[in-house]
Amino acid sequence: MTAGATDSRTAVPAVVADDRRRWFRGQAFWLVAPALLLLVVCLGLPLAIVTLRSFSEPQWGLQNYAWFFGAPVNLTVLQRTFAISAWVTLVCLIAGYPYAYLMTAVGPKMRLILILCVLVPFWVSGVVRTLAWVILLQDSGVINSVIRAAGLGPVKLIRTQTGVVIGMAQVLLPFMILPLYSVMKTIDLRLMQAARSLGASPARAFAQVYLPLSLPGVYAGAIIVFILALGFYITPALLGGPRSTMLSTLIQNQVLSLLNWGRGGAMGVVLLIATFVLLALAAPLTRQPHKTGSRR
Amino acid sequence: MKKIGQVTALGLLMITTAALAQSKPVAGEVAEGSLKDKTLTFVSYGGIYQDGQIAALKEFVDKSGVTLLSDGPTEISKLQAQVESGNVTWDVVDTGDFPPYVYCGKLFQKLDFSKIDTSNIPEGQISECSVPAMNYGVVLMYNTEKYKDNPPKSWGDFFDIEKFPGSRALEGSGDLSGGMVEQALLAAGGSVENMTVADIDKAIEKVKSLGPDTIFWKTGADSQQLAESGEADMIAMWTGRAMTAVKNGAAYTPAWQDWLVVMDQMTIPMGVKDPEAAHALINAYVGKSAQETLAKTTSYTPIHKDAKPEVDEVTAAFMTNTPDKLKLGYQQNIKFWVENFEVANEKWNALMAGN
Repeated sequence: MTAGATDSRTAVPAVVADDRRRWFRGQAFWLVAPALLLLVVCLGLPLAIVTLRSFSEPQWGLQNYAWFFGAPVNLTVLQRTFAISAWVTLVCLIAGYPYAYLMTAVGPKMRLILILCVLVPFWVSGVVRTLAWVILLQDSGVINSVIRAAGLGPVKLIRTQTGVVIGMAQVLLPFMILPLYSVMKTIDLRLMQAARSLGASPARAFAQVYLPLSLPGVYAGAIIVFILALGFYITPALLGGPRSTMLSTLIQNQVLSLLNWGRGGAMGVVLLIATFVLLALAAPLTRQPHKTGSRR
Repeated sequence: MKKIGQVTALGLLMITTAALAQSKPVAGEVAEGSLKDKTLTFVSYGGIYQDGQIAALKEFVDKSGVTLLSDGPTEISKLQAQVESGNVTWDVVDTGDFPPYVYCGKLFQKLDFSKIDTSNIPEGQISECSVPAMNYGVVLMYNTEKYKDNPPKSWGDFFDIEKFPGSRALEGSGDLSGGMVEQALLAAGGSVENMTVADIDKAIEKVKSLGPDTIFWKTGADSQQLAESGEADMIAMWTGRAMTAVKNGAAYTPAWQDWLVVMDQMTIPMGVKDPEAAHALINAYVGKSAQETLAKTTSYTPIHKDAKPEVDEVTAAFMTNTPDKLKLGYQQNIKFWVENFEVANEKWNALMAGN
């Protein structure tokens, strides 16, 4: 099957003279075969089964979807899931962008330290980090002690959406910084000097030269963070209250407590489709930088 | 002298056991070498609890020659997948209170009580598909510094935010606690006899009336953290976690009135390869010394009436099988909750999701 696909691919005459594509026509396909196989068996197949069950349980029909859109709590939580994910993405971007820039601007030793600062928390389990946030954010926690010492009233952080966003942003920050860094390190900083020498103010040189060139990294990071955030489960469960429950918690309840695979599946499918729609809407944005010539 | 007495007693017991092996089971006993070359997989919730259960079963393993494997945590959805695919690898499963009632005859087999000695298990805790695995409770813990002279005494006080101002925390780990909903209904002026589905709404309104700062803790550790940091003034807590919090210095005290009786359930899934061996495990598990080991290692209350585990003072204070505490205990209307499992869970989860 796969061998046949490779052969037919080789038989198609190359239309576009793109280096990478020409290379891909050869045996390079086999490089992705293990990953592809893993995806099909471990993701594609279960996904297909879950989708099927959302239409077939308890009987064939759309009853699970009718239920989903008929219960106000589901819609509230769906909306909230997207809102929290958007906030997390924004916070990660604001915190990650200058950090990634700094990584490109410093010497190799400092860069190593900065990379380690990003990666070391990445090696610690998300659950452990989330529990650490419980200690930090709780009413009698470290952050509130500092605020109280400064003479200000206690701030409600834990079991609020703010707390959830903070905790999730910390867990997801590496997924924003790493793509940003990988794009930024390819940007020639002399372009900024050129812009300055042609009379642009620093702000303008950034806005018109550096920022557009870094956008592919921004989009890649934002999309990864946003999509990962949509499926978050542990962090909102531990740091959040009822008003920050996300869809994954509801899915978990349907499947694990009620054994209602049909409804759980329908919720998963709705989340998946909503994500695809959003990505499709964002797609034109991500293509733009290619046209303006970011590839050197 | 005492030692010799014990050995003689043990010898006598063994002889009797051997004689009775064919007829009537004795809790805690298993025939020597009877399960040699066999393997059983016991599934529970992990942590010290499952470690304690395995420790309680050591005698059984040593004597019967069985190879005991441990797996978990218990997830009914995983069990369902096993039963549906006809490949059941979990032989004995420790579950929550509802599943053996909801899925009796579907996921769990009806137990053969000619193979399990249930004579020492407290009244009203055995069902067609399960025997209790242990007992514990949900108890009202209150902050002694906050309510110095006027401590709350019952769930009625817990739900009375005017007479007892302060923040509340209750279980929000997923499944609803039927007993807690019933207490909320009572506090709302409802009646628990002939409860209807509409009463669930009434009870949930009462829970909502506790205010926006009410905490729904997700895990036992979570609730313990709330007590140790003093985050909530009254907390509905599992007795084991309440005990640990007190040991760690939390200034909280229990109000035992109507503490909610909870038990885990020992079950055998449909389609296990060796039901005989699975029954033998349960029969050994409900034995006196097994239950004492369990209580000693986990601080959960044993389900053998005569079990007297050697535990420290605080642990003993939170054991729920003493006559005085058994008198104050409150048993949920399990029949109602099983019949209305789905609708009740949906309403409860809407509350959990902030709606």
